[in-house]
Amino acid sequence: MVYLLTIFIAAIFTHNIALTYLLGMCPFIALSRNMKTATGMAIAVIFVITLTAAINWPIYHLILIPTHSELIYYIIFIIVIAASVQLVEMIMERFFTALQAAFGIFLPLITVNCTVLAVSLFMVLRDYTFLQTLFFAFGSAVGWMLAIVMVAAINEKLRLIGDIPKGYQGAAIIMVIAGIIALSFLGFAGMVKIQ
Amino acid sequence: MLKQIKNTEGFKTIANGLWRDHPIFSMVLGICSALAVSNKVDNAIAMSGGVMFVLIATAIIISMLRKLIPLRVRIITFMIVIASFVIIVNKFLEAFFPIISLALGPYVGLIITNCILMGRAEAFYTHNNTWLSVLDAIANGIGYSYTLISVAIIRELLGFGTILGFRIMPAGWTNWVVMSMAPGAFFVLSVFIWLTRTLAKQTPD
Amino acid sequence: MKDRLLMIVFILVLGSILTISLIAVDNYTAPIIKKNNEIKIKKSVLDVFGIPYSKDTIEKVFSDTVEIRKIQNKTFYILKNGDIAFEIKGSGVWGPIQAMIALKSDKKTINAMVIIYQEETPGLGGRIADKSFLSRFKGKKVVPELILVAHGKAKGVNEVNAITGATLSSKALQKIINTNIREYLPLIGRM
Repeated sequence: MVYLLTIFIAAIFTHNIALTYLLGMCPFIALSRNMKTATGMAIAVIFVITLTAAINWPIYHLILIPTHSELIYYIIFIIVIAASVQLVEMIMERFFTALQAAFGIFLPLITVNCTVLAVSLFMVLRDYTFLQTLFFAFGSAVGWMLAIVMVAAINEKLRLIGDIPKGYQGAAIIMVIAGIIALSFLGFAGMVKIQ
Repeated sequence: MLKQIKNTEGFKTIANGLWRDHPIFSMVLGICSALAVSNKVDNAIAMSGGVMFVLIATAIIISMLRKLIPLRVRIITFMIVIASFVIIVNKFLEAFFPIISLALGPYVGLIITNCILMGRAEAFYTHNNTWLSVLDAIANGIGYSYTLISVAIIRELLGFGTILGFRIMPAGWTNWVVMSMAPGAFFVLSVFIWLTRTLAKQTPD
Repeated sequence: MKDRLLMIVFILVLGSILTISLIAVDNYTAPIIKKNNEIKIKKSVLDVFGIPYSKDTIEKVFSDTVEIRKIQNKTFYILKNGDIAFEIKGSGVWGPIQAMIALKSDKKTINAMVIIYQEETPGLGGRIADKSFLSRFKGKKVVPELILVAHGKAKGVNEVNAITGATLSSKALQKIINTNIREYLPLIGRM
């Protein structure tokens, strides 16, 4: 139990998937221009990452390993991700119209958000158990949300001042902000350790 | 003569990939790997090679099959094709460059979600013949590679005092540890984007 | 209906072509990958025993000098003079640390250690892989426990100077050595 919590905390702070592993950067740069879209995307990401990790673990350990077909796990994972995104979209359209209006536009984008695939790949590399995978996936997604929301908040305020050099507007300034936040996250190093 | 060349489809394709629609600077695509594996030059070269191979192979397959691929399953088709080639790259690295393979870790697998691949497949390879698609793949591959490798050269030089493992900086050089870690990646790439955008006089979106 | 059928046929054909080519690649690379991993371990064993070898003679030197013994799934590499080496691993600050450690024939003194894999901060914690640091372990006792102390303070036979500026990585390494030794020593005793 303590170890599960360690994985969770590590995934948010010390091994933040956006700020330490530099993953999920395409939507990160594109959507961290205002808080509202950033939060919307992040919530959708949390849901999809946790869901796909929970599906991919049994597929890998109960189907791929017994049949000795680990070779194709990349293909299977990416199909699972694409399919579950589609499924979530359909369910939302049907039953949760309000949610659909808020998060619908982010869902198709998630398929190519590398954090989703990365969480499943880390799960294989680090040989996590099912529960560890769940905590790791949820933690990573929350960590990603923390990063994107922080950057979006700063970016929003910064643009109000509006004194950014021309070439630095847009992607470049977002990277500088992210860099400074990543720098401050280095302070968490060693707080908890994961293998 | 020069004008003639400039107006051919092939030239435009290359110029777009290398500069005008450069995947990283102009469209800010595929930067996860540009940030994550650019701490050492040899990692960057291996990654560039991998992306280049997958780009060209995908371009050939998708453009040849473009009239056959059913519209509704095209995204999943792209994914299967891309993922298969990524597996080949991964196995190849593991067999012949085990040290680099270990250093790249999950990032090789993440070539699959590199937006450059999906983006080019959807925007270009489904609409153009094989010849042009391969040109486009090479141009985008080179565009991606030179960014990755130049970021890596700066980061390795400042962070380790070496390039490709050879000592460049004088003996008294103090390594800038931050360059070899995540924040350094953000800072160097942001300077790169700023430089190229200013030079290309692009208006930010 | 016809469209659906075409779609399924297309996916199946494409899928099987790709699968066949993947299996071909796997068959070709799998033995090479397996050999790479063996050589990596063999190299670290020879390194930790200080036996000279060249790229082509690894296999021969290894089989001539080292004896492999397995006890309860743990592998021990033994030299003729009784020196014994084994792999230790655990978590560092940023990721796993994997090392090979060699004990003298008295089974409580460290003879040498090499790091096989680490992801510590380059230039700070990453220095745990430096020869100058690893040589500090030579002749230190692992019983009752190895202790890494602030630089220049090491006095006892079980105390080693830690790396200045890399306290966390040093502590992580200390923990890895001690927990692994505690696990391995009883097994060595049964030999």
